[in-house]
Amino acid sequence: MRKPIRITAPLSTLEEIEKRFPVSKASEKALRALVDEFKATLSKREEVPVNSIEPEKRPKRASAA
Amino acid sequence: MPPLPDPKGVFLNVPYDEEFSGLYIAYIVGLCQLDLVPRLASEIPGGGRRLDRIFKLIQSCRYSIHDLSRVEMSVAPTAVPRFNMPLELGMTITWTNLYPSRHTWFVWESQPYRLQRSASDLNGTDPCIHNGTAEGVLRELRNAFHRDQMPSAPDMLGVYRFVNNQLNAIFRRNGTSNPYSKSVFVELCRLSSYLTDILRHTKPAV
Repeated sequence: MRKPIRITAPLSTLEEIEKRFPVSKASEKALRALVDEFKATLSKREEVPVNSIEPEKRPKRASAA
Repeated sequence: MPPLPDPKGVFLNVPYDEEFSGLYIAYIVGLCQLDLVPRLASEIPGGGRRLDRIFKLIQSCRYSIHDLSRVEMSVAPTAVPRFNMPLELGMTITWTNLYPSRHTWFVWESQPYRLQRSASDLNGTDPCIHNGTAEGVLRELRNAFHRDQMPSAPDMLGVYRFVNNQLNAIFRRNGTSNPYSKSVFVELCRLSSYLTDILRHTKPAV
């Protein structure tokens, strides 16, 4: 099995992304709305406190043998 | 001598058919999450021979992915073998043999040992096996490429699902139902890159 190729090029900035993938003004607006929707799903996921998970759905600890 | 290749450019040699669109989106999302730049033959403007344009695109990319999982007979009654993907792989291999430091190619398949049956001359090549699933494409991309600040596998899958769910809206906006059209491709890349940027700034990298 070959080793993964290590990508060392610096990470792209938002400006570079926008220049590389040019879209219309309407598409830009729609994509920005999707980005906000995605952000909202992320923050919802992160806001769920561990204690709010029902006990039977919590992962069980491995019992000592 | 052509100019040096884009160090992030990845030429995607994939079948342009409806059944493949889920894997195609997984390639786009996964590559953008690795901050690589997917390139597709359909994005290059017309004029001149298509094959010449494709060869120029291959030369301009540092890497290429050749998915041979759908090298098979097309649907009857006009059943003919699909030769475009192997043809473009052959061009790429020749280019790489001439200038090994300029290009690295990968072969992708859906099943182990299928490549040995379809193209035994490629024996000795380790294909990336995606099992015909988007999860498999993302997993193999992570095996093929590594970079610091890479998103976690569940995050990559989460972004894939989110982007895939937006496909119909992207179609409507661009007046097409062809995921391989230039405008849809560019929007998919832009959206995937945006979401990756958000993840990078909100979640710790793996």
